[in-house]
Amino acid sequence: MAYAYLFKYIIIGDTGVGKSCLLLQFTDKRFQPVHDLTIGVEFGARMITIDGKQIKLQIWDTAGQESFRSITRSYYRGAAGALLVYDITRRDTFNHLTTWLEDARQHSNSNMVIMLIGNKSDLESRREVKKEEGEAFAREHGLIFMETSAKTASNVEEAFINTAKEIYEKIQEGVFDINNEANGIKIGPQHPTTSSILTSGQGGQQAGGGCC
Amino acid sequence: MFGRSRSWVGGQGKAKNIHSLDHLKYMYHVLTKNTTVTDHNRNLLVETIRSITEILIWGDQNDSSVFDFFLEKNMFAFFLNILRQKSGRYVCVQLLQTLNILFENISHETSLYYLLSNNHVNSIIVHKFDFSDEEIMAYYISFLKTLSLKLNNHTVHFFYNEHTNDFALYTEAIKFFNHPESMVRIAVRTITLNVYKVSLDNQHMLHYIRDKTAVPYFSNLVWFIGSHVIELDKCVQTDEEHKNRGKLSGLVAEHLDHLHYLNDILIINCEFLNDVLTDHLLNRLFLPLYVYSLVSPETSEERRINPQVSLYLLSQVFLIIHYQPLVNQLADVILNGDLSVFTPQTDVHKNMQPSAGGVRRFVKPPESLERSLELSRHRGRKRTQKRPNYKNLGEDEDDERAVGGSGGSGGGLEEGWDDDSCREREKGKGTEGIGGAGGSSKGSRASGETAEEIEMVVMEKCKVSELTEQNITDEEKTAAATRTHTQKSRPFLDMVYSALDCTDDDYHALFVLCLLYAVSHSKGINRDLLERLQLPVPEQERSSYSQVLVERLIRVMNQAAQPDGKVRLATLELSCLLLKQSVLSGNQCIIKDVHLACLEGAREESLHLLRRFYKGEEIFLDMFEDEYRSMTSKPLNVEYLMMDASILLPPTGTPLTGIDFVKRLPCGDVEKTRRAIRVFFMLRSLSLQLQSEPETQLPLTRPEDLIKTDDVLDLNNSDLIACMVVSKDGGQAQRFLAVDVYQMSLVEPETKRLGWGVVKFAGLLQDMQVSGVEDDSRALNIVIHKPSSNPHAKPLPILQANFIFADHIRCIIAKQRLAKGRIQARRMKMQRIAALLDLPVQPSATEVLGFGQTANASPSGLPFRFYEQSRRAPNDPTANRSVFASVDKVPGFAVAHCVSQHSPSPLSSPSPPSSGSGSTGRCDSVTASTISAQSPTDDGAFLEHTPPSSSGGEGDGGGGEVTPVSSAPSTPALAPSLTPASQPTISLLTDNNADSLSVESLTLLPPADSAHLHPCASHTAVAQSLQRPDASIAEEEEEEEKREEESPTDETDATVREETTETTELATPTDDTTEDTPTDPLQERDDDTHTDTIDSPELD
Repeated sequence: MAYAYLFKYIIIGDTGVGKSCLLLQFTDKRFQPVHDLTIGVEFGARMITIDGKQIKLQIWDTAGQESFRSITRSYYRGAAGALLVYDITRRDTFNHLTTWLEDARQHSNSNMVIMLIGNKSDLESRREVKKEEGEAFAREHGLIFMETSAKTASNVEEAFINTAKEIYEKIQEGVFDINNEANGIKIGPQHPTTSSILTSGQGGQQAGGGCC
Repeated sequence: MFGRSRSWVGGQGKAKNIHSLDHLKYMYHVLTKNTTVTDHNRNLLVETIRSITEILIWGDQNDSSVFDFFLEKNMFAFFLNILRQKSGRYVCVQLLQTLNILFENISHETSLYYLLSNNHVNSIIVHKFDFSDEEIMAYYISFLKTLSLKLNNHTVHFFYNEHTNDFALYTEAIKFFNHPESMVRIAVRTITLNVYKVSLDNQHMLHYIRDKTAVPYFSNLVWFIGSHVIELDKCVQTDEEHKNRGKLSGLVAEHLDHLHYLNDILIINCEFLNDVLTDHLLNRLFLPLYVYSLVSPETSEERRINPQVSLYLLSQVFLIIHYQPLVNQLADVILNGDLSVFTPQTDVHKNMQPSAGGVRRFVKPPESLERSLELSRHRGRKRTQKRPNYKNLGEDEDDERAVGGSGGSGGGLEEGWDDDSCREREKGKGTEGIGGAGGSSKGSRASGETAEEIEMVVMEKCKVSELTEQNITDEEKTAAATRTHTQKSRPFLDMVYSALDCTDDDYHALFVLCLLYAVSHSKGINRDLLERLQLPVPEQERSSYSQVLVERLIRVMNQAAQPDGKVRLATLELSCLLLKQSVLSGNQCIIKDVHLACLEGAREESLHLLRRFYKGEEIFLDMFEDEYRSMTSKPLNVEYLMMDASILLPPTGTPLTGIDFVKRLPCGDVEKTRRAIRVFFMLRSLSLQLQSEPETQLPLTRPEDLIKTDDVLDLNNSDLIACMVVSKDGGQAQRFLAVDVYQMSLVEPETKRLGWGVVKFAGLLQDMQVSGVEDDSRALNIVIHKPSSNPHAKPLPILQANFIFADHIRCIIAKQRLAKGRIQARRMKMQRIAALLDLPVQPSATEVLGFGQTANASPSGLPFRFYEQSRRAPNDPTANRSVFASVDKVPGFAVAHCVSQHSPSPLSSPSPPSSGSGSTGRCDSVTASTISAQSPTDDGAFLEHTPPSSSGGEGDGGGGEVTPVSSAPSTPALAPSLTPASQPTISLLTDNNADSLSVESLTLLPPADSAHLHPCASHTAVAQSLQRPDASIAEEEEEEEKREEESPTDETDATVREETTETTELATPTDDTTEDTPTDPLQERDDDTHTDTIDSPELD
């Protein structure tokens, strides 16, 4: 329960790029990716530590709601971070990035941190989008970039945590108005004494008992 | 991992496939052994539940027997059992996550049916979780959302029970419609939209939704939106210092979210629902709160919102919602209606009969949503045939209280609403209004045409007798009063038009323009309605336009062109947009000459305004081009503009607010200059478009005129310098450097034709930076930046490389040539700007001056001229020669073009003294001093070139245009003796001059200016409109000249006076002062020659 900050994320990108799998992979390690089973989820939360501070990440997948304009725009606005995902084995998902990004820039608050993610990096043999292309796109649009694999869990952790670090830095710089909850950032109830106890309980549940 | 290992150990003691029926059986076993949740088995249970999820999904994809087993053993019941034990958050969250994952990942319909059967899911939905826990709340609402995404014609029966009138998924979800957590609210909206979409095909469900939930939900939603609006208004009123921008923009975004949500509901196009929603929106929110606030006097009612806020919000409504029955009625009231719409006698507006209360009022719903849902559910069970809704429920329960009107009756039941004061007021009004809003509403409803089933029930209970004369509210009184003392029947429209006045500020005007734009672009508004009022309908043939509007628009433009105009750029751009829309019918412009003349007057004013800011400084050119770029690359998007909360606050000038430049007033000299440039561009382009003239002078650099990569050039006799280009990433290439008028290019030899080259890179000289390389005297570092248009992207240089030459001599030559070329390219563009502003063009003056200065450096000019000439030499004779001809001709051609267009400017450059008055005088002297300062360097070139140019000019009329051209590119010719160091001094000098000038202009000139400008301008406009009501557009130019020639005498005096004051003012070298006076006559003489020579080819 006790956290210094809560960051709300959204995951966006074409259908089938593995958004919900990424989400589940990050928020619940107990669901180990198995070759014949893909499991995803639309919502997840997890506690991480940055700079010695407990930070809770709440991730909302926006899948299936694209048909309603009001919904997408509200989601964008309520988030402090966005993971923009494409599938490295499907060029069209990469080509649609511009549209996604335009949408995101239009609807989100200007400080939202956007991370570009090329997912399914385990499928090297079927790769259609070069890593350099992703990097170039990210550079051009001022995004952070990473290639991940929800299947092998490669870079998944880093993707979410680096985004959080960026947001955290922005908070430190005073860029984010943290008192405005519409920005997707919430200040946690500060109970320094109980935080350690609660967090350990949290970890057991959230991170699938990674401690043991 | 922990759980997994346990399950392996706990299994049959050996590692076995966890994805199997056997494993599920084992899990079942664990569940049966642990029916009670304790601290001890909590972890085990959580892991068991989790594993079951995994197996089920695996089974869905691989083995259907898993589902059979799950169903057979009724394992869902275990879940429920665990849930009901209040087993704490840990288990709860796991269960909800499991359910989420299950429903999200199940792909087979049959598996889904299995899971949904037995009504277990509904039991979970209605389970009272601890919603104060944000995580449980989040998982719960996600669960509902996931379910709603699974709704379809088949599955809907698992959720909606028509016999018991239960639809837990929907009713439980909407209870959270005003949850403080935005993500939860969004999820609720998603769920409702998904439900509405499915309800289209399900009559029973539709009836249920409409009869049992629509009124409670929509009335509460409307109240919720309205409360936000009032908060928003408070925020605007109390925030003149722009302290609360974050909160304000949050509230604005919230309002937009709501509108988009409402629009999403409306475009599902479920007529049943839309009727109810439209009624509520119109009669409970838009009319009473937004529209009424347009005219209500400041003191009349506490609850009204500011007119500007209401204009802003209404624009948003029209921009977003296009549902015809709603927006058309709303527009009709604004454009046609009067205050009678707020009185209960609504027989005039039958179709707009408010069903939810006779008087259009923004009132709080009588009870909280949750309560009305509860009540309706019970009632539904008792007597399903009655189809109750929240209104008659209210009456049943509080019959005695119904006297207080709909608002009053709600007061007692109020739950969980933050805005108590509103309720109090409402109550008060109820009694004050003599107990009958409710009654009268019913009465009017009875007489109305909205024969909806919902109403039927209510009407049974109507006591028509209550409808008496005495039911007069404050609003009605006001309305009646207004009606009597103003004869106008369109108070709202009057308000809208009168708010277009920008004398003090354009606070309201911007919103009005947006509103008019939005209304005219709305697909839902009847074209007839707009045409009757002659409002601009885009893309429609017509023969007349609204004079009132057009005159007001032009007045806005005129004000924008004033030096101290309070019109923001966004306002001006929008005015231009609306004006175009008004007077352009198809390809024809139907503007009246009077109006066109006024518009031309405004354009002329903007020209004068810009002249005041014109300076010879480098930065002026950059600003000029940058403004043009941003104007063309980012045309105004009204919808985006109306999403910006910052314009809700009173217009401000300071950039410290972070408000976009176009949405605020300029701050400081630079921004004032930028603004003047922009105003000039906009009015120029508007005027050209209305007169269907093409733009020939802007932008200053047209991409099609430039040398591009892969062009093939004839470089015979061109001056080329070989070099090795080492780019930043280490790539190397052997190239030849060639410098053209506007560009530098890197070429490599063409293999087929000797002496020809293929361009490998071309970049604008004006954007280039050259610097030496520290430890290599043969190398230069060259960077060329592309002016960027995307604010998010880091500006990336299009070239960043070291150029290594054969020896340091060549290096210095290259450096000088580039540096000189840069200066020259910029100077030429400045000249073109000057021409555009009808200022005397520099080259002529330069030449004359250079000539006067003479001779010392003349021979030194030669070697570089060589290059320039050779560039040009093939140009003329080879006009018919293939690729090169077309390409290489370009720069020269561009100049020729430009000069020929300059011609009207020297031609009308008698005008500067006359119309430009003080400002022009200043500019002249800038020119003069700049030139005289430069002259030492350029002398040689000028000397070489003046004779041919003048002879050419006199010789043949056609050639006359070309010759100044040829002289122009030659000016960069460098004295090789000239050290690079001398260049900075030059620019320093000019800068100095310019600086001192600008200071002087601030202190000295304005009085003279304003005295001259204002009367002159207004005179101009009047004169034009009077003089030539029928004059054709083509005469415009000549008109101008004539006009300008009319008043040269007194003006020249002014100029001279200016000139002299200035010369004394400036502590420039003695050279300058002596030079200054002779310059002017010379210049003018020169202008005259131009006028003569170029008269014929004047095209525009």
